[in-house]
Amino acid sequence: MAKQLGVGDEAVSGLKDPARHPFPPDQKAALLFADAMTNGPGQVPDPVYTELRAHFSEAQVVEIATVVGLFNYFNRFNNALHVEVTLMDPGVLLRRVEEAAATAATPSERFDRVAGILKEGRRYLRVDVGRGTHLPAEASGAGGAGRGAGALTVPIAVKGKVAGWISVESERAIAADDEERSLLSRVAEILAAGMA
Amino acid sequence: MGRIRRLGRDEVGADIRALFETFLRERGNIPNMFRTVAHRPEILSSMLAHFRAIMGPGTVPVALKEMLAVRVSRINSCDY
Repeated sequence: MAKQLGVGDEAVSGLKDPARHPFPPDQKAALLFADAMTNGPGQVPDPVYTELRAHFSEAQVVEIATVVGLFNYFNRFNNALHVEVTLMDPGVLLRRVEEAAATAATPSERFDRVAGILKEGRRYLRVDVGRGTHLPAEASGAGGAGRGAGALTVPIAVKGKVAGWISVESERAIAADDEERSLLSRVAEILAAGMA
Repeated sequence: MGRIRRLGRDEVGADIRALFETFLRERGNIPNMFRTVAHRPEILSSMLAHFRAIMGPGTVPVALKEMLAVRVSRINSCDY
């Protein structure tokens, strides 16, 4: 979501440790305020607040504090009730894959865009969409069974022959998930149609 | 497995269904949290209005608000 709004990969990765990442001073002040408000009961030290106030008006500080408060509320609700991560609806995902496959200028752009849609929509930790007549070695066995419960590979078949693969890894146990396999197989068919 | 059953489109009233359809159109899914809160429709509709008032365009760039949401969720070990 943040990436869709123009937050770059580098900034997203900097969010792991904002104190050490070279964010612009206003962003850093807001992030360190969020950390102080989130860690513990929310007693923000004066220097952290003063730095925030140096960059933002009172109305803006209120808006920032409501964002931090809202996500603490949502996170605690989700953690307490074990609400699962939301995945993209399979119908919507396939529509986006079809659009990307139809509008990409080159085969490699098509593969990259489809990989991006899969990663974002299904929350996979890793997505590899490749071309070749053999599946990657680590994927040998039924769906890469040797790689554990979180890994799944499906072939991209053109005229009955392997022409590529989609290989994914997830925190979810997707290896034995028929729905996940059938979704990836549909994506593979869409890619295969563009390679025929 | 969620502790509370999340409601589907066919299990909610017309007002909530319209909110769900908007989510599906705009983001390609209906967040599981909102499907869970749908057990209490009045709370869900005011929650969504509050969410939009806070996260929509205001006096702070939307991109910064998204960064704050990601950071807070990371601290809380919640996969936002």
